Amino acid sequence: MRPARFLDRVPLAAVALAFVAAPAAAQQNTAATYVIRNATVFPVVGARIQNGTIVVRDGRIAAVGANVDAPAGATVIDAQGLFVYPGFIDSGTQLGLTEIGSVPGADDTREVGDIHAQNVSLTAVNPHSELIPVTRVNGVTTVITSAGGGLVSGQASLIDLAGWTPAEMGVKRQAAMVINYPAVPSGVGRFGFEFRPQRAEADLTRERDRRVREIYEVLHSARAYGDARERGATGPADHLNAALVPVVRGELPVLFDVESADQIRGALALSDTFGLKPILRGAREAWLLADTLAARDIPVIVGPTTAQPGASDPYDMIYANPGVLARAGVRIAFQTSDASNARNLPYNVALAMAYGLDPDEALRSITINPARIWGVDDQYGSIEVGKVANLVVTDGDPLDVRTKIRHVFIRGDAIPLTDRHTRLYEQFRGRPRSPTIPN
Amino acid sequence: MIMTDFRRGAAQALLGIAAMLTHPATAFAQQANPAAAAENAAAVGVAAPADTIPVLRAPVPPAGTLVAITNATIMTATNGTIERGTIVIRNGRIAAVGANVGVPAGARVIDGTGRWVIPGIIDAHSHSMSEAINEGTESITAQVRIQDILRQDPIGVYRQLAGGVTTLNILHGSANTIGGHNAVVKLRWGLPVDSMLFAGAPPGIKFALGENVRQTNRPFTPGQQQRYPRTRQGVEALLRDVFTRAQEYRADWQLYEQQRRGARRGQAAPIPPKRDLQLETLVEVLEGRRLVHAHSYRADEILMLLNVARDFGFRIASFQHVLEGYKVADELAAAGSGASTFADNWAFKIEAFDAIPHNMALMYERGVRVSINSDSDERARRLYQEAAKAIKYGGVPEEEALRMITLHAAWQLGIDDRVGSIEVGKDADLAIFNGHPFAPASRVEMTLIDGRVFFDRSTAPTLEDRMQRMRERTIPVAATESAR
Repeated sequence: MRPARFLDRVPLAAVALAFVAAPAAAQQNTAATYVIRNATVFPVVGARIQNGTIVVRDGRIAAVGANVDAPAGATVIDAQGLFVYPGFIDSGTQLGLTEIGSVPGADDTREVGDIHAQNVSLTAVNPHSELIPVTRVNGVTTVITSAGGGLVSGQASLIDLAGWTPAEMGVKRQAAMVINYPAVPSGVGRFGFEFRPQRAEADLTRERDRRVREIYEVLHSARAYGDARERGATGPADHLNAALVPVVRGELPVLFDVESADQIRGALALSDTFGLKPILRGAREAWLLADTLAARDIPVIVGPTTAQPGASDPYDMIYANPGVLARAGVRIAFQTSDASNARNLPYNVALAMAYGLDPDEALRSITINPARIWGVDDQYGSIEVGKVANLVVTDGDPLDVRTKIRHVFIRGDAIPLTDRHTRLYEQFRGRPRSPTIPN
Repeated sequence: MIMTDFRRGAAQALLGIAAMLTHPATAFAQQANPAAAAENAAAVGVAAPADTIPVLRAPVPPAGTLVAITNATIMTATNGTIERGTIVIRNGRIAAVGANVGVPAGARVIDGTGRWVIPGIIDAHSHSMSEAINEGTESITAQVRIQDILRQDPIGVYRQLAGGVTTLNILHGSANTIGGHNAVVKLRWGLPVDSMLFAGAPPGIKFALGENVRQTNRPFTPGQQQRYPRTRQGVEALLRDVFTRAQEYRADWQLYEQQRRGARRGQAAPIPPKRDLQLETLVEVLEGRRLVHAHSYRADEILMLLNVARDFGFRIASFQHVLEGYKVADELAAAGSGASTFADNWAFKIEAFDAIPHNMALMYERGVRVSINSDSDERARRLYQEAAKAIKYGGVPEEEALRMITLHAAWQLGIDDRVGSIEVGKDADLAIFNGHPFAPASRVEMTLIDGRVFFDRSTAPTLEDRMQRMRERTIPVAATESAR
């Protein structure tokens, strides 16, 4: 599918620079300075700090330690008995791109056709979605959001869950190119019996191979386009190819949505052919290739753990997969692949912890690991001086469902812990008692 | 000889007619339960006995089964938590539970040190073991029975056992205003389906309201006939119509019975009214002999059904999903209806857009008995994590949150005299965790039903297991060593 051709020639350089990280701190002109005192601080990159203090100023962490002076005029939060963590990062959602699942009007998660390299998620994000406050009040402050489906679904964006406009929310407008590596549909049905698909397996395999070839062709074409442009070729701009040039140059990572070992191997082969920078996502069978992935330093975003393994898989495969990968030295992060319940990111992680994921690694997998994977670890993912002040203050382990969130900061702003749900709760808590059934 | 043949023939003919006149399930129950058969023969058609779940062939473990779970933290669901407690199981029932309970000689001892034991989890909304769950051609299919199509689902059932689930309420889907008879089963993995049915569980029936029944989320195919009802008003009209017909049907049969009993010798016997299996089922509902489980979302449709039930003199045993139940909690409590809901699933349909995770807490505060269900084989595996959300959102006390996946579900299904808590006399349906069930790193280690172990992680096919076996296949070190 070729987009309409523009009369202007889009300089390649402009496209290339567009995806460089630039957290929009300037737009959040926060004058408030906060001091969080007497907390147990989990910086993630170092040992926990007992009776710690954090100073938040101008959207950043200005100070953190056991003996930190509170600046005058700051709003003081006494966090005695409370715990502070970096804001959590969900590496796979459709937040802002969908509202009510069954209603197509607000659903921007699936474009027509198969190749949408030039579709960028950020500008379609609805900053006023009801789903956003619901998510961030549980400490998930930053997410990857993207459409899905097809072969090349488009470009995923990394966003903070606060901002008046999509641009304000954007942390990385172009975080990765999403590619759905094709699979042969499984022949195993719900009851463990093989179902007879409408078409023969050989047919389905040929179809899969054809779709894989299509991806190869698309990337080949992009490489040729990029090379030609570089040599000074002129002519009408091609946004589709232009969008893929950074991908084949290894500058824009590719987020491969894969599940089986077969798909993973295919994605790695594709990456090797074109010099791509792969990130695997989903990857429920990555445990089969754990050593390879660790040796090649390929990050894996696991989840959702709230999913059923295939009929012939061990019953705890999806729960145990993250732990196996982490122990093998793979850098893992988590996704909920959700929108309305992205808030449950920590509980996805808890399920993995119950089946072997180390608790420290569990915390890293939703903080510093995704920050590194997305190339924003200079600004996000840990509680260190200079980083963006995305913080969660809790009364217990954030992976424990029973824990209450006391404060959430996004870019140094204290986020009100209210959302559609708390409002309805308060409203109906206030309904006068009515014991009779009205007509 | 001829006389014997004639009498035998007549007897056979009568039996044949009797068989034709009785509902197939009733016939089966009669075979299993001869006492009921005599009763039923006289009352054919009139308020026909609820198709009682057939009596199990092997309901409890063989006599002599003696199990003791020792030194565990026991969350009883009714009497608080017992530290370092022991549960003694005899013939499938809980014989003793407490901190100072002795282990009988000969008992199989399950060491509960460092373990937490809770009652087996009861899922009040399941579609497991069923492939076809909607007879979607008409909106009222009350007579259709889900137990007729139950089939083994070894993988799905095993994984639920691995999540501590022991009993399911298997329901039809929500395509129809009245979907059909339910089936309550215990997850006795490996036994025939008939042996999984929960003996003595009161029969139930699935109702549904709202978007699914109205089929408004289906893409409209031009030329395709739309099915009535398409509006919520239509759902109400349909319910009132069908229950009115059920009342008339009951009156017709009562009149017939009166006339039949009053008929004098020599008088012509009255002709019975035509049997209608659907209306028979609805008469059971009218008479409170079949528990109604009603899928519903919106506050107004919940009130509508409460009103219909009140007008026709029956109670709704449980509203299912009932995501706006918090808006009409008083009305639910006043009607004595239970609520079986999702912890925090929302925004998937318009009628779920006002759903809040505080639903459970608000309804509980107003006196409603709330259970948390799965409506999903996947969610059923982690209902213990879902239950903890009742604590997070609205501060439900811990033991009440536990009851939401155990005792309250049992009560809604009418089986709380048998399961749902760890008390002497109840069935030994138990889930054993390696930590507090609501704590983040906890998982199920063992699941028992009727005192028999149906899931044991130490012998389960785990990922670790699979990896170990793969290693052994690729590195047969032992084989080469022994060859030398």
